[in-house]
Amino acid sequence: MSTEKTKIIKLFQELLENPQNRLVEQAAESGRIPIGYACSFVPEPLLMADRLFPVRLHATGVAGTELADNYLSSLLCSYTRSILEFAMDDRYDCIRGWVFVPSCAHMQRFIDNFDYLKKPGFCHVIDVPRKVSAVTLAWQTEELHILAKKLSSHFGMDMSDASLMKAIGEWNRFCGVMRQIGDIRKRPNPSITGAEFQSVVMASLASPKDLILPHLEALYSEIEQEEGAGKYRARLMVVGGHLHDPEFIDIIESQGGLVVADRFCTGSIPGFRPVHVNGDPVRAMAEHSFEKTLCPRMMEDFDTRLKTIIDTVREYHVDGIVLEIIKFCDLWGVDAMPLVSALRKQGIPVLKLEREYRLGGEGQLRTRVQAFIESMGK
Amino acid sequence: MKNIPASIHAMIARLPEKGKRTWQSSLPEYLIHSPDLNAALTYMKYWMLNCKEIGKFGLECAVHLGPVGAIRLLIKNPWLLTLLKVNDLMRRYGRGRTGRYLESICMTLHTIVAGTNDTLKQMFFSPDRLVIIEDLLPTDIMHAMGLAAYQLEGMGIMLPIMDPNSAMKYIDEAENEGMNPDACSLPKTTVGMVLKGHMPTGLALVSSNLPCDAGAASYSFFQRVYDVPIYRVDVPYHFYNERAENLFIEDVKEMITWLEKHTPGRMDWDCFRKICENRNHLLELELELWDMLRVRPAPLASEAVWLSHLWHYNVSPDYDASARLFENLVKLARKNLENNIPATENERYRTIVWNPPFLHFSDIFNWAERTYGLTLMNDSMSYHHHGPIDISTPESMLRGWSRIVMQGPMVRHTRGPAENYLDDIFRAHKQFDLDMIWVANHVGCKGGQAMNGILREKCRERGIPLLILDYDLSDPRIVSHDNMKRQVEHFMDNVMKAKRIEH
Repeated sequence: MSTEKTKIIKLFQELLENPQNRLVEQAAESGRIPIGYACSFVPEPLLMADRLFPVRLHATGVAGTELADNYLSSLLCSYTRSILEFAMDDRYDCIRGWVFVPSCAHMQRFIDNFDYLKKPGFCHVIDVPRKVSAVTLAWQTEELHILAKKLSSHFGMDMSDASLMKAIGEWNRFCGVMRQIGDIRKRPNPSITGAEFQSVVMASLASPKDLILPHLEALYSEIEQEEGAGKYRARLMVVGGHLHDPEFIDIIESQGGLVVADRFCTGSIPGFRPVHVNGDPVRAMAEHSFEKTLCPRMMEDFDTRLKTIIDTVREYHVDGIVLEIIKFCDLWGVDAMPLVSALRKQGIPVLKLEREYRLGGEGQLRTRVQAFIESMGK
Repeated sequence: MKNIPASIHAMIARLPEKGKRTWQSSLPEYLIHSPDLNAALTYMKYWMLNCKEIGKFGLECAVHLGPVGAIRLLIKNPWLLTLLKVNDLMRRYGRGRTGRYLESICMTLHTIVAGTNDTLKQMFFSPDRLVIIEDLLPTDIMHAMGLAAYQLEGMGIMLPIMDPNSAMKYIDEAENEGMNPDACSLPKTTVGMVLKGHMPTGLALVSSNLPCDAGAASYSFFQRVYDVPIYRVDVPYHFYNERAENLFIEDVKEMITWLEKHTPGRMDWDCFRKICENRNHLLELELELWDMLRVRPAPLASEAVWLSHLWHYNVSPDYDASARLFENLVKLARKNLENNIPATENERYRTIVWNPPFLHFSDIFNWAERTYGLTLMNDSMSYHHHGPIDISTPESMLRGWSRIVMQGPMVRHTRGPAENYLDDIFRAHKQFDLDMIWVANHVGCKGGQAMNGILREKCRERGIPLLILDYDLSDPRIVSHDNMKRQVEHFMDNVMKAKRIEH
């Protein structure tokens, strides 16, 4: 690994150490407005208009959720508890507005408790439908128009078509570079590991895109021609819900399984598609918000999710899938039942892991992954 | 062969225990210990009526399916035997209750037996027009289309009420198949029943995003097992507005079109009008009943309120028998009021239970009544503020009906802002002059769990005692009945400073 690449990766890792990294603070100090969000159904380009910029909420490094558990209960998803914990601890004090999606019961209750405890000045919920049709697309478009209007009136932002087109252009450029970096992982010997890629993705989603883009471009130019130095026994794909801590992937990779594809909320598949505008940019973002996510909350998309995973396995020459589910997640917990069975019927080995949002049980994780790789004969 | 003597020996050893239980749940035992002659006669009457309904269903099976077919049905659906325990349930509900109160409960249960008969007939006798639907979607539209329908989660709700241990094997089956153990036990029970092949297939599946993630997500599994077409309705998050109503109405219209395409059903708007009229009549009666319950002490309570609503509103609002039951409940309540006869002579405290009822320990309120004089006035599955359906046009009927679905129990509590959950509780508290609030804190209900913190603070602000009772909806292994009683005892003794009733 080149020294330059190491420096750039370290930069991304440092940016990830803080839920409000220095790029966010830098942008906020220059008069820009950070908007926090927690779900992939939120259209980032809409939050990039004018002086707005989106900050994906994460709680990497959360030590415990004792405060949040009093409200959200210890029987809820630890991601929602972790971000509520951070919110109660004022770790997001730069954030000026919040845009949420009631993606699941846990997120809905996070929104309720967050609203009750923090009384934010601007907090909007996009009512994203759970199925995709012409009617729901029209609904989603209208929802985004409502959001745009509110952002405009509350923050005095320019949410005109021209402004949105500019934001979409910026988002597409960002996606383009991310996809280029992601495509490197299709190679037999990728010059970037899964853990490194995850650091890059999470840090980028939690930073202003214009400020992170030069670093992404620098990274790409460093690794484009490089060959990977690591020796791995198997190529793995990670599938599941929220996964923000690259340490989890690092542990998987420490056992000889190189993570080459990620189909989770902040993963590369299908996450970084460009927005194609044909007329109304808001409608384009509505279409895009449905296309770029493959969440089990979408009731009619099981077959699409399954097909996408199978296609990715073929495209990335994946040997096995690690299905990671945050404990108490009903969407993934229930969806996993037919999913695992269908994948195994296709001859794809699957390791199902229950985990918490913050890394724990590392020894067990190592053992399970080790055994999984061995069971594949690798 | 070696094990046969051991098994016989074990069976003989259990005989005294089984015999004791059989005696305890028998009619003669009740008659011997009944509080008065009137109660004995009431109980006996409904005991026989229930047996008659059960016999009727058995006969209909034999006629419709033939004797061999009937036996095969029983082998394939062993849970049918659990339904035979209805008189045992009536006994548990009736313990210590007398007069019109007892009669209202026995009558409610009896109408449910008759209604269950009808549901079972739809399930097993009409495969050529059977639609399987998710439990928070009423069967109204299917019936208006001339289709048979059953709610897939229906038996998952009914079985643990009949026999507390009946859902366990299904829950285990689902968990062994890979379903997350922390999921709500109702979808787990349903998945387990489907895995075991204990639920009949139909022509089509109709599901929704209600009420929660586990329930909605389980239908991907059901679709793959049944391999039938599926339609899903989607209730918006913010639903108390015309825009959301319009979206949902369009969804329902599409569902009707879809059903006409995939089943022999055809929408009969006159039939649907009759169903809506029936619903309006039920609504009128129920509101009248609730009005009477505001009086202290209440003329009726407990199962006469929540069980009657649970079945007749959600499963059979279109049946004349449902309206007749509520007419009778109103009559009984009125008579008690006029004669100053309370439901229970020891009414000292009144409460509401929030979140799904204690399925495997639904007679906990019978125990609470006898122990502390605590009467259950309503619950979150029953409490509503629906208006009547405007039956003038198909559009107006769909709008009114859609509102009932979108604002239905659990639906309105799991969507929209927290006020949708909280405001109802405090409105009910005022409406029924309650002394406390109970939250049925089902471990699998994440939506409910995550509201306890806010609710606790809000209750403290208002000075309302709050009991958060930990339990599992259908699995008595998680929290035992004893433990549940102990939680109530701790609360009543320490918070309410309640004295127990001397018997």
